[in-house]
Amino acid sequence: MKVYEESGCFDPHSLTDCQELMGLPGATPTNCHNSLEDTLTVSSYNHHHHEDASAALDMEPHQHYLLDNTTNSHSHLIPYLTQDLPYDQSHWESFNVVPSSSSPEAAAAAAAAASAYTPTPDLLSLFHLPRCSFLPNPSISFETTPGSPSVVYDPLFHLNLPPQPPVFRELLQSLPHGYTVPADDKDAARVGGLYHDGDNGIIQFTRDISMAGRAKDRDKAGKTTKHFATERERRVHLNDKYQALRTMVPSPTKNDRASIVDDAIKYIKELLGTVRELKILVDKKRCGQERSKRLKTEDAGSAADAGDVECKPLGDPDQCYNTSLRSSWLQRKSKDSEVDVRIVDDEVTIKLVQRKKINCLLFVSRLLDELQLDLQHVAGGNIGDYYSFLFNTKIYEGSSVYACAIANKLIDVVDRQYAAAPPTSSTSL
Amino acid sequence: MDMEFLKSELNELAITDHQRLTGGRMGRRKLEDDDDNNNKEFKSKNLQAERRRRQKLSDRLLTLRSLVPIITNMNKATIIDDAITYIQELQKTSQVLSEQLLEMEGSSEESVMPMKLEIDVAQHDMKKCGIKEEVKVSNIDGNKFLIKIIVEKKRGCFTQLVEAMNYLGFELSETNVTTFSGAMLFSSCVHGKYGDTLMVEHIEELLSEMMKSMKKNSQSTIELGNTN
Repeated sequence: MKVYEESGCFDPHSLTDCQELMGLPGATPTNCHNSLEDTLTVSSYNHHHHEDASAALDMEPHQHYLLDNTTNSHSHLIPYLTQDLPYDQSHWESFNVVPSSSSPEAAAAAAAAASAYTPTPDLLSLFHLPRCSFLPNPSISFETTPGSPSVVYDPLFHLNLPPQPPVFRELLQSLPHGYTVPADDKDAARVGGLYHDGDNGIIQFTRDISMAGRAKDRDKAGKTTKHFATERERRVHLNDKYQALRTMVPSPTKNDRASIVDDAIKYIKELLGTVRELKILVDKKRCGQERSKRLKTEDAGSAADAGDVECKPLGDPDQCYNTSLRSSWLQRKSKDSEVDVRIVDDEVTIKLVQRKKINCLLFVSRLLDELQLDLQHVAGGNIGDYYSFLFNTKIYEGSSVYACAIANKLIDVVDRQYAAAPPTSSTSL
Repeated sequence: MDMEFLKSELNELAITDHQRLTGGRMGRRKLEDDDDNNNKEFKSKNLQAERRRRQKLSDRLLTLRSLVPIITNMNKATIIDDAITYIQELQKTSQVLSEQLLEMEGSSEESVMPMKLEIDVAQHDMKKCGIKEEVKVSNIDGNKFLIKIIVEKKRGCFTQLVEAMNYLGFELSETNVTTFSGAMLFSSCVHGKYGDTLMVEHIEELLSEMMKSMKKNSQSTIELGNTN
């Protein structure tokens, strides 16, 4: 304990609280010990070497924090973060007090932090963490120059730790404003309203938590335990959320939780890829435009000679070095058709499988013409109950079509034709 | 130690599903009459299956959590919420970017250029390699034909070919299209839909005529394009 007090890196005050709440005499704190052992040894080392403090603290705790975060982030945070709310609140208050009053040095450190590292003031107010986390006491900055407290806050930012107290602050604020008493409405409209508003998302969710709490309080007589009501509400709530997640995904498959999460994971990856692709395209486009603009002003006479505008970018001041290879892969599935679109650089490979009813080849090729895709190779035909085709195409120079658009349009066209065709005979005219 | 704590937390949250599910399954209630052995066997299998199911779900939730950069609380409900918010954000971003792209596409004049370029290149290549345009039809069986066409490759020529096939009442069973040196080889196994059998020569004639008209049409469009 003495070591901790001296180093000031680990708050002994909160350690005892930890123990109380955990109810485990030595289990969790020993965990803390193990986790922070390295950091503590470092800081105790630093404590005795004031001169090196600034240098050492600059590097090592930073590294240690990051190491700790990357290796066992969950194991350390979860015990603390899944604790009861009152614990957090009480410590939040105590911590809140510290930067503002306790010592002028702490305030100076905080001010220095604010000046040295501008995003920190917001972070400071947000990350009111329980004291038994890695957040070092501001006293540690006493040993370093006021200019280096940026080290103290940097690693925490990477942690993305949950901003618990402000959530509650917002909750308390949001309560009087248009707070609706929760009837037994668990309809989709309410759920839809909740998730549409991305900005106020957090506030809305805390409203729900409080709603659940409220419901528990004014529980009607007749229910044996109040727990059943909240538990059921919570379950229904959770199911609603899963359903909401399912609606966002373009082609959901099974309706069980694991598949919903799986679809969501795939969709997020797809969206990330699409965004990346679009950014590359926009950049290319912008470069191309700038280039053509410049060339137009340079030689207005040779506009007729289209071949020469094949750019000579030597010596261009703002030439874009777009050497990244664009690649993306998307899949779309519907009830009767499946589309797979892969783009590498300027070649697009499309696979299409559709239940045999109409020969969609005509519509697909029309769409490909529309999308300005140059057919290089087509292969496919009737396999059993299905039509399966593979298209190898090239994107015409200057066109900026992207995978998502192709896939969506294709599945759309194919589905529409399939639906429009009469069920018995197959006429593709 | 901590992983188990986490697991137990998650399991606790999930225990309600278990209770809900066993009510509907053939699991516990019905087997009260059976042997003790059977009971225990089913119970343990069910338990293991349930544990595996929960494990699968929690693993996937962890993956989801790892993808989403902004997480508020670390419980099952909020990870779903955060995922929803993140997806919405990404959708918005991609929409903004695609609109931006459309705008830029509208204002640029690059797409007009390539058409003439391609066509000149294509004609040149084909003659150089000595590839000749060709229409060949062979009868396989009754109403089935094998059609092989070599034509100069142009924008939209494949569409025209397929349209021609449709017009003749052919359904394409297996199709294969390859391009090389400005020429396109269209090879397809077709069968007539409309019952009446066409003669091979007749088909060849019709196809050649269609291709000629295709050529004329495309040439006129090129001219139109040039004057623009």
